[in-house]
Amino acid sequence: MAILLNQYYLQIAVFVMVNAILGVSIYLTLSTGQLSLGNAGFMSIGAYTCAILTVKAGLPVYLAIPLGGVAASFISIIIGFPALRLTGIYLAIATLGFGEVVRVIVLNLKITNGALGISGIPTLGTKIGKILSSFGMSKFGGFSAQQVSTLLVLVILLLVLAFLIFFCIRLNRSRVGRAFAAIKADESAAEAMGINTTYYKLLAFALGALIAGIAGGLSAHLTFFIGPKDFAYHRTVEILLYAVLGGSDLVIGPIVGALILTLLPEVLRSASNYRLMIYGALLVTMMAFRPQGLISEETVRYWKGKLGRGSKQ
Amino acid sequence: MLNISGLSTSYGSIQAIKGIDIDVPEGSIVSLIGANGAGKTTTMKSLVGLLKPQAGEIKFLGQEIRGLAPHKIVNLGMSLVPEGRNILAGMTVLENLEMGAYQRKDKEVQKDFEKVFKRFPILEERKQQLGGTLSGGQQQMLAIGRALMARPKLLLLDEPSMGLAPLVVADIFNVIREINQEGTTILLVEQNVRQALKIANYAYVLETGKIVLHGKADEVAKNPRVMEAYLGGAKAGV
Repeated sequence: MAILLNQYYLQIAVFVMVNAILGVSIYLTLSTGQLSLGNAGFMSIGAYTCAILTVKAGLPVYLAIPLGGVAASFISIIIGFPALRLTGIYLAIATLGFGEVVRVIVLNLKITNGALGISGIPTLGTKIGKILSSFGMSKFGGFSAQQVSTLLVLVILLLVLAFLIFFCIRLNRSRVGRAFAAIKADESAAEAMGINTTYYKLLAFALGALIAGIAGGLSAHLTFFIGPKDFAYHRTVEILLYAVLGGSDLVIGPIVGALILTLLPEVLRSASNYRLMIYGALLVTMMAFRPQGLISEETVRYWKGKLGRGSKQ
Repeated sequence: MLNISGLSTSYGSIQAIKGIDIDVPEGSIVSLIGANGAGKTTTMKSLVGLLKPQAGEIKFLGQEIRGLAPHKIVNLGMSLVPEGRNILAGMTVLENLEMGAYQRKDKEVQKDFEKVFKRFPILEERKQQLGGTLSGGQQQMLAIGRALMARPKLLLLDEPSMGLAPLVVADIFNVIREINQEGTTILLVEQNVRQALKIANYAYVLETGKIVLHGKADEVAKNPRVMEAYLGGAKAGV
């Protein structure tokens, strides 16, 4: 057990959690059928807002992270009004441009420390470690204080993720979720039925940005350092790939996608130079043979039917 | 009930409708007929706000509605059954109908489900089936049922007979007449000119974006030009 809980595994588990939260954010924007490539930009806004608030203004972490999300969401509403008149590939390009704009702004601002990035961000792990040691606890039945605090961080992230999944499932069954689904299925039909499509598209966009911002804030407080390169184009594509691989019909899809795509490079570490090739080949294969992603509504129906029959026998 | 004057809509630099005037009196059926590309669908989309007209007036129940967002126009009591039906294929029949009542907050929605199911018994039979698995005629019924769920005072139908078998077309036109008799005003766009003129009170003929002829439906049907162009020549008769 103690071997399994080494720092390396724990760190990967933490990244899986953050990426899964990003998966939820892309799921929400995709739930109205909008292909947005701006989520890395929103993540960046969240991460920087949060880091500046804790490092420079001395705000506690639990306040700074939600504020980072709110800042990202606020910006998303401002750019959403003009951007959401676009659809499909045009929206994708506009939001991609937005992500680049954010990166360049961050690169040139003084408060974000330019290309050097912000370092010395207090990590959640050390914060929890400090709290634990202030209670005079340093050894926990064979586990080091570091292991225990990373485990606690993992639990916190798991709770956040669980809450988000619960939120999305509830949302799907609500009036708002129905509107999202109708817009995704056929936007002009939804409009003709009397659904305020602008409002709901903006809402989905802002919710996605909020969660991306929170994920950004979390990642800033997990890695000690953030720089403009962390939220560049490749990050956006990575987030989108979670949805491409896992499927975007159900919230669990991008989460599974995030899990696989975060673990894959680590598992393939032994393949060294061929690692990216295998990664790429997997994605191309997926798009050719299962364009809807690993998990679609049909998958769930199929397994439900199968398991249902199995239990009756 | 609906007065359109000088309405013009363009797609970019191409003007699709060029200053048309249409009157739809309360309780009537008005047919808008014309060939492909005449601007019929453009007119319908302009009325419900899906397209933004450049000029003209659209007065619905005395209120100017040009430029209003589609959901506000639905709230005022005008619903469109779009061309090609636009069924939400991944949702069940019941869910499609529920979406039609999206803007309503009153408690009589349940009653209206029953009304729609009474009018279209096939929909009740299939209410748990996905919309996309219905036949063309059933989808058209679902599209009409969905529009009725919004309790419109004026129902716009864009080519309800498109791609349907003759028997089904006859069914659909009977339903349209029934809906009208129960008090809903109807504006109908059709390529099936014979049927459209048969059930209508008034008719407008649209050609390349302009109204070239209008009047009582039976008079329009007797017009030699209409007979020649849309009804298979003078000999065919009506």
